[in-house]
Amino acid sequence: MKSFFRKVGFGLGPNEEIPSDPLNWALNQLDEVPELSWQGKIYSEKELRKYYRDWVYGDREKLRIKYKNDKTLYRLKKDQLRHDTGQKFWESLEISIRHNEAINGTHPVLTKLWYFWGNHFAISEKDFLANYSTGPYHRETIRANLNQTFEKLVYDATVSWAMIHHLDNSESAGEKSKTAREEWRRRKKRPASINENHARELLELHTVSPKAGYTQDDVIQLAYIMTGWQQKWSKSLLETGNVWFNHEYHQPGKKIVLGTEYKSGKKGLAAVIKDLVNHPNCRDFIATKLCRYLITDEPTKAMKEPIIKAFKKSDGFLPEVHKAAIKVAFDYNDKFRKFQTPENWFVQVAKISDLEWPIDPKVMDEYKLGFEPSKQRRLPEQLLRELGHHPYRAKQPNGWSDNSEDWLSPELLIRRLVYGNRSYAYSKTKNNNVEFYEKIVSKNFDNPEKILRYINKKDQLYDKQTLLFNHPEFLKA
Amino acid sequence: MKINRRNFLKTTVFTSLYFAGFGVNSFANSSKKKNLVVIMLRGGMDGLCAMPIKGDEGFEKLRSKINLDKTLPLTTDFDLHPALDDFKRLWDQNLASAVHATSIPYTGRSHFDGQNLMESGGRIPYEIKTGWLGRGMKLANLTGEGLALSLPMPLLIRGVPMNDNYYPVKGIIPKTEIIDIINDAYKEYGEDHLSTTLEIIKKREFKSYSSRENHSLAMNAGEKLSKANGPRVAVFEVDGFDTHAAQGSTNGAHADCLREFDNILKGLKQTMDKEAFNNTLIVTLTEFGRTIKQNSSNGTEHGYGTAVLMAGGLVKKAQVYSDWPGLKRKEMFEGRDLNSTIDARSIYASAMSTVFELDFKRIQKDVFWGEDLQNLSDKLFKTV
Repeated sequence: MKSFFRKVGFGLGPNEEIPSDPLNWALNQLDEVPELSWQGKIYSEKELRKYYRDWVYGDREKLRIKYKNDKTLYRLKKDQLRHDTGQKFWESLEISIRHNEAINGTHPVLTKLWYFWGNHFAISEKDFLANYSTGPYHRETIRANLNQTFEKLVYDATVSWAMIHHLDNSESAGEKSKTAREEWRRRKKRPASINENHARELLELHTVSPKAGYTQDDVIQLAYIMTGWQQKWSKSLLETGNVWFNHEYHQPGKKIVLGTEYKSGKKGLAAVIKDLVNHPNCRDFIATKLCRYLITDEPTKAMKEPIIKAFKKSDGFLPEVHKAAIKVAFDYNDKFRKFQTPENWFVQVAKISDLEWPIDPKVMDEYKLGFEPSKQRRLPEQLLRELGHHPYRAKQPNGWSDNSEDWLSPELLIRRLVYGNRSYAYSKTKNNNVEFYEKIVSKNFDNPEKILRYINKKDQLYDKQTLLFNHPEFLKA
Repeated sequence: MKINRRNFLKTTVFTSLYFAGFGVNSFANSSKKKNLVVIMLRGGMDGLCAMPIKGDEGFEKLRSKINLDKTLPLTTDFDLHPALDDFKRLWDQNLASAVHATSIPYTGRSHFDGQNLMESGGRIPYEIKTGWLGRGMKLANLTGEGLALSLPMPLLIRGVPMNDNYYPVKGIIPKTEIIDIINDAYKEYGEDHLSTTLEIIKKREFKSYSSRENHSLAMNAGEKLSKANGPRVAVFEVDGFDTHAAQGSTNGAHADCLREFDNILKGLKQTMDKEAFNNTLIVTLTEFGRTIKQNSSNGTEHGYGTAVLMAGGLVKKAQVYSDWPGLKRKEMFEGRDLNSTIDARSIYASAMSTVFELDFKRIQKDVFWGEDLQNLSDKLFKTV
């Protein structure tokens, strides 16, 4: 039963009580989105986007021109600009906030689902998004919507600055739009054309999935509906201006997606999203993915059913969808154990063994722009890269896989061995005793004697740490 | 334009006379260890950027912003992207070639479905849980002879047990006795996959070149492939071919990716001994090509037909093998893409037949479910 606390959360810390009613403990965490528990400074997406702006503008419009004949000086100045704009710092700060919410927050179950949705609406590695924007996007666009409808979440994610930039929608211009007739396009030989990227992912990854059987023409039509949603470009902000609907780029006329007709204009996007989220394939897709994340690689129809039902009944109200998913996870807790992805695994290690993790908010707040961040301050970002599972740096817009096999290779298993061991370096001195291990084992395992016999095969505490967190019962939950 | 469809299967090679006779059939020996290297080019490699057609005005017009201003000469009909200079060096020694206007039979334009299918070899995305290479290896009994140069184990090579991968960690692996205790627990819980993976970890020896750059990974792999008891199959990945914007021409996003591919060839050539390289075949794999026409962001969209680049001593000769479909609007796929006239799986089935020394028909039947594939072994590769 105790694996349930890891299945839907991150396990129990040494000072936490064992909840007497695990299911209700979990369900009670899903109605509200509490303030983040991070005690340090939290920056808004817009504030951080200003730094993104200062970086791209400074590099592209100033340094490249000023130092065009001096590569060495250019490189030097560019590195300085990186630090002036916090390029190597924000990402670690964001991960600290993220991990803190799992470890010290009051709603770990909600946090586990936050991680899920961040990955569902993944911003993969592109340009400098991970450095400045993906973290705040996860907080302000994904997390803030977890007590809203799926429809609202899709809409907000779709028109977020990070997603618009990520999937190139600013580049998309209708062939019959006003901008298509502009003189400069003829002169510069840049005729207006659509960019299908965002439209395709909205269908395939974010809502109905290919099972809905849409055609290339549906993709094109959706891309037409989306034309005009772009970053407001200006000479001083470049691509970092707010997202707006630029009528001049919008393809006029009605469009048809999956058989439904949509009027021209700004409201088309909300209308089509409304229909997409109410498509039966969308409910099935979300239920499948939730089950795969929490329960098993191969979700069954019986598992998905209650989630689909709750989705339908509540019009995709996320707290209801989440409750249904958690209930299913509870019902199947003893039959199915899900291999935990590296980030979830590490956060569980940190929480259960009470590591100095994340880094003290004071240390993060003392960072001064203009300087290279210390190794300690960069550790969160580098550790996740090393584990092969950095939430802001998935390789592709479909995010990280939730299939166990994708996380089983010699090198990935080596990471668990190495970081199981290295995590001991972040342990607190007060916990460096055998009694501590007895305590955390009894709190998190149904069969503490057996687990203790296993870790007691070695006397050194760091060996016990390695053994415990590589035990098959711990790798799965 | 000099070429038309059907009269174009063999284009003239500038250098073929100069190097005539080099290596012809001299390596074919079935007792030799033969290696197959597959380089996955993720994101959709633009075959017409890597190997543009010459003298097609329509093509040049459609790509006015991203045409190459400098190329390397290849054949009477095709040029080569200048980033591929190591490929060119091999070409000049009859150790590199290409198939053009080819693709896996997938026309859906989704990266994720496409990449799943390029690895599984099937037709329905996510249906098949093993890779064509893994199934081919299984058929050839190549257990424990696969090496992936990436952190996860690619689908492509799944389907045969005991594959290894290499992507160096920054840290110290725990002592064997710790690993043994963990392994006992895996066994007790019936975690066979975890257990065999630990066995592999225990057995490995890798030099710790600290870098995970593809060039350095290739140098490591090259050494392993040269050893008699080393792996016979290696799989690389190059990301970033999805250039919707700023694809660039001679330099640019696509060029950087091609250069990374080229660096793999370089790394393998640098570390493999001559005999091993002569008994090796390197092939590329991508999910689709890119639209012929540039978009307004000087990039290209997801397309269909592309090129497969090949290198190594088992390449028959320097040639661009193609049944060129033409680039007139009605000749294009859906009026926008280079068509595919050769199922790329024919190349891979032939490659496995050649390297694993298996009957083509068996591969066709057991790896590709008896689908209609052509045996191109004699045309593309050195067979015994």
